[in-house]
Amino acid sequence: MMASSYNAKEEDGRNSNSSTHGGAAVAKSKKPDNTAFKQQRLPAWQPILTAGNVLPAFFVIGLIFIPIGIGLYVTSNNIREIEIDYTGSESGSPCNDCSTNFTWNTTTPCICTVNFTLNQPFEGNVYMYYGLSNFYQNHRRYVKSRDDSQLNGNIKSLKEPSKECEPYRTDPVTKKPIAPCGAIANSLFNDTLELFHNEPNGRTTAVPLAKRGIAWYTDRTVKFRNPVGDNLSEVFKDTEKPMNWMKPVYELDPSDPENNGFINEDFIVWMRTAALPTFRKLYRIIHKNSSSTLTLPSGSYTLKVAYNYPVSSFDGRKRMILSTISWMGGKNPFLGIAYITVGSICFFLGVVLLIIHHKYDSRNNSADIPN
Amino acid sequence: AFVHIVMISCYTSLVIFFIPWAAMHDAVRSDGKDVADYQSFALLTQTSLLIVVSAQMFLDTNYWTAINQFFLWGSLAVYISVTFTFLSNGLFFMFTSSFPFIGAARNCLQQSNVWLTIFLTCLLSILPTVAYRFLLIQLNPTISDKVRYKAKEEGQPTPAPYRPPARRVSTRRSSYAFSHSRGYGNLVTSRKFLRLRKPSSLFNRKEAANLCKQLIFCRI
Repeated sequence: MMASSYNAKEEDGRNSNSSTHGGAAVAKSKKPDNTAFKQQRLPAWQPILTAGNVLPAFFVIGLIFIPIGIGLYVTSNNIREIEIDYTGSESGSPCNDCSTNFTWNTTTPCICTVNFTLNQPFEGNVYMYYGLSNFYQNHRRYVKSRDDSQLNGNIKSLKEPSKECEPYRTDPVTKKPIAPCGAIANSLFNDTLELFHNEPNGRTTAVPLAKRGIAWYTDRTVKFRNPVGDNLSEVFKDTEKPMNWMKPVYELDPSDPENNGFINEDFIVWMRTAALPTFRKLYRIIHKNSSSTLTLPSGSYTLKVAYNYPVSSFDGRKRMILSTISWMGGKNPFLGIAYITVGSICFFLGVVLLIIHHKYDSRNNSADIPN
Repeated sequence: AFVHIVMISCYTSLVIFFIPWAAMHDAVRSDGKDVADYQSFALLTQTSLLIVVSAQMFLDTNYWTAINQFFLWGSLAVYISVTFTFLSNGLFFMFTSSFPFIGAARNCLQQSNVWLTIFLTCLLSILPTVAYRFLLIQLNPTISDKVRYKAKEEGQPTPAPYRPPARRVSTRRSSYAFSHSRGYGNLVTSRKFLRLRKPSSLFNRKEAANLCKQLIFCRI
């Protein structure tokens, strides 16, 4: 890519100081060995930015980036996505009652329903996410407030959680250790979302939601392990549930022992802290059914929410997102637009540099090198 | 020059953070799972930073010997191996709380949108430097640039084979002193003077002529 010139660096190592010590070479010679390495004669390659290198590079980059950008943009546009904000902070919105009447000690969850319409059918696997805004899961003290050995099933850490979990380390009333400890676990998202399809003939069918397969494979199999023992409630008997939880950890999913305790996938997904204050996390998957090609046909749908998670205290927002997926992930037009922009800037810059090069090239060639 | 460097640093820092930020804003993996989590984002930013720094060094290095190649590519290779080591299962089991990023590399670096983001970030950081240097060479070439350009045009002569510099005989000795020294016997029989028939490019003509004058016997 760059102009290469075979340039053996020659440095004369001959003028060493041993010759001034008299002719008798009894004293040990201080001359460095006559190898290529020590005499700095290694073959070298010299990158030079010439017009022949840089201009084609700019054009090639421009020509490569623009189709990639177009491909990304088209792929992103083909992804179907719908966001339903169900925070209920405005009066008149469906979940306003639940939002304003929230108390910490409710035993019966507040249910609210949101109706929405899908204008276009969703094909293939449809992924259901919950999204939160203004929730800083990347706050440093929050991110450190966890005990990974406890979550890995270490019995010693189960009884004595790490100091990082303070003040969510031991229960203030019973003084027992909290399992799982820490602020991240304490703020587990506990809304329940259900989806119903209002068919044109008047029937309402529940859309089947799969709750397994939403967490990373390495998280589920390596990082999170239940403490050894058959009966989870026995294993966790000397521990307390986190303060803001309604159920203890061994009751997260009693129907499925593979999804109960620390290895509950909703819990694992929540514990993977998000990088940005507005994030979405995978909640359920709607698998494509083999009988019909449309996973979610267009029409009217109802979202039923068990509103357990308070966000109004920090002006957060909650939403439910339904999205299809492509090879590049969800709907994100930024990469496509960025590639197209950078490609065109590159191409334009290449043209400008070419003009400059033509204008000033004569100056280079005729310039005399002063001796 | 300080202002220039500060500007380039600010620009590169902003690019290295904000491009991944915008690309990861609502991103998910190609199987629907999370990729916008803290650890993946950190890994993405870190990797693009390493590559940008290596590319800058590539642009700044003038002579690429084998040592330079080894260290530059080596540092990238070490980064990759260290990343996968730190994020492996083994280290997590040994020192659980110190290596919580387990699995992040395997899950995040598989995604094509992550690699596309890295590629875009690196290119966007390098392009201004390349364009600026190229412009400088075109508009305001320094002497070393001109020399290099001319050398590239004319082609480097093959490096002269190594030869010990010919022994310089002192020019100030009179013939009387010569007659008391060992004389030319050794020199004549050593066939050394024969080489001076074709003076090499290392010596300019004047020097070669001088040397020949001393030895009398050479013919140019």
